Amino acid sequence: MNLLDIRNLSIELETTNQNILAVDRVSLSMKEGEVRGLVGESGSGKSLLAQAIIGVLEDKWHVHADRFHWRGIDLLRLDIEERKNILCRDIAMIFQEPMASLDPTTTIGEQLAEAIDSKQLSGFFWQKQQQRKEAVIRLLHKVGIKKHIQCMKSYPHQLTEAICQRVMIAIALASRPVLLIADEPTAAMESTNQGQIFRLLASLNQLKNMSILLISHDLENITHWTNTITVMYSGQFVEAGTTEQIFNKPLHPYTKALVDSSPKANLQLPSKSRLMTLPGSIPILQHLPIGCRLGPRCPRAQRACVEAPKVQNFHGHKVSCHFSLKDTY
Amino acid sequence: MLIFTLRRLNLFIFTMLVLTLLSFSLSFLFPGDPVINLSGQLNSTEQQLAVINQSYRMQDNIIWQYFAYIQHIIQGDFGLSMSSQSPVIDEIMILLPATIELSLVALLIAMFTGIPLGFIAAIKHNKTSDNIILSVAMFGYSIPVFWLGLLAILFFSIGLGWLPSAGRISLLFEIEMVTGIQFFDILMSNSPDKWQAFQDATAHIILPACVVALAPATIFVRLARASMIEVLETSYIRAVKAKGLSFQQIIFRHALRNALIKIIRHVGLQFANLVTIAMVTEVIFSWPGIGRWLIESIYQRDYTAIQSGLLVLSCFIFIVHILTDFIYAALNPLARGNKHGS
Repeated sequence: MNLLDIRNLSIELETTNQNILAVDRVSLSMKEGEVRGLVGESGSGKSLLAQAIIGVLEDKWHVHADRFHWRGIDLLRLDIEERKNILCRDIAMIFQEPMASLDPTTTIGEQLAEAIDSKQLSGFFWQKQQQRKEAVIRLLHKVGIKKHIQCMKSYPHQLTEAICQRVMIAIALASRPVLLIADEPTAAMESTNQGQIFRLLASLNQLKNMSILLISHDLENITHWTNTITVMYSGQFVEAGTTEQIFNKPLHPYTKALVDSSPKANLQLPSKSRLMTLPGSIPILQHLPIGCRLGPRCPRAQRACVEAPKVQNFHGHKVSCHFSLKDTY
Repeated sequence: MLIFTLRRLNLFIFTMLVLTLLSFSLSFLFPGDPVINLSGQLNSTEQQLAVINQSYRMQDNIIWQYFAYIQHIIQGDFGLSMSSQSPVIDEIMILLPATIELSLVALLIAMFTGIPLGFIAAIKHNKTSDNIILSVAMFGYSIPVFWLGLLAILFFSIGLGWLPSAGRISLLFEIEMVTGIQFFDILMSNSPDKWQAFQDATAHIILPACVVALAPATIFVRLARASMIEVLETSYIRAVKAKGLSFQQIIFRHALRNALIKIIRHVGLQFANLVTIAMVTEVIFSWPGIGRWLIESIYQRDYTAIQSGLLVLSCFIFIVHILTDFIYAALNPLARGNKHGS
């Protein structure tokens, strides 16, 4: 049984003129204990999708889905309050900018303490304060912060970006989630810190069997850590499969371009020659192409591409393209 | 924290110096002899005039004159009032506490009604209650205070007869003046009917304080609404939502403090506005405060009183500013602590 099963999720932005379909019928499914990468350029709707899953989008965004199952429970049938309870209990999220995602006027200790569910604590109410504090210290140790006394007393602006991100992870772990959504956890971070954060997430996945949805714009960087990858382009589903499938046999022209654009895939390229890129740039939200949104930039585009392609499934390797690269391998 | 306090104190001293410079220059700008304008001694003999000239060092150059003036002010000598020929400082010590009392009560009323209303409007953003609060605030802001004061007297004092229309306390009560703040004096006095006196003083302050508070309260509504809307859209509130806290927990633990930080400095700035409104209101409600006295001295061309009244009032406003700065620092961890490169 899938942990998370989302079918045809659309997110619409309501504006004065017309409604803009920012995310267009994206499907996403996750298994227990899986690390799935969600890859796409900035503005491709990855973060929107993540925020829609956890339900913290602002009111101006309208979300529709054909199916939204969580561990076999059909969440669309539940009312908002019940859905929120289930999601907040089982799913936790790490946001893009750790510094901005922590309340600047509250100490780290307090922010961590309030994330701990009082159901986890046993004992009488006079013991709970002490237990809560111990739980906070344990959480800080778990994410690799050794100076817990100092850290608990400080405010977010007194800590570095990497430590703030660790604190965010600790807050996310406080509710003992089944699924952790990490929205660009290492954006604006140095590469040494990036490695530390990814290793921490990987060890949590291995030790706690926690599923992770890892959102990134950098395909190459996250391939070491993921089992499966979903690729998005401009709010549309492009391709999903295991990391090996995506990296070795990309079926969609866009995925192929992504893989080819990294220097690692081009080791045989002569020195000082240009890397492969797609012509043009990502379309703005006000002027989205009809049909397949990659159409104007796609090297394999033909007349049929003005209609959005259906998702094809080749042994779990899903691709959304009329002219996939299946026959070239 | 010590450095923070020293900085504020430093600022206070320098601002006061500039203010004394202004009030000193006024004595030259007003018509008449500068020495008479400073000392207020209209009917003095030749010998007395010579003594005054000596004490204000009028024979030396203007810098020494200024230092002599500062010396007088530090000693608490603001000269004599030109109209009553009694020391200005005595009159101020009687009148200023009444104004402090009125404006602080008005400030509290404005804060405790305006800020919560603004927060409610922000939480119910784009709903009916938001629109109602906003339009009432707009309406209240547009009403002129002198008209509102007269209307309040007409309605509550004459029409309904609930509240007295003038003065600080009924003449029946004899309260000895110690601090000048009426409520403290009543509580400290040992008169047998001090609770009746307290009730009477409360009844007297309600109407003028509410009239003064209306315009600042409407400004606070709009400030609080804007800052709360801004805070509710930040990513830390979104992160807290994802943490699974209930809506009340989000508001009371995180949103409230961050929104208050944004408006607390504006509260200090609005206080100057509030004191100006209080001056007009004092005239309408015959409140024995410094505002009414200052307006009367303008009519009577009492230059000494105008000079020192301005000095004392601006000093008071500045002290309130510094106090709000301290509250701001207490709420905002970013403002306290040592900052580098700023």
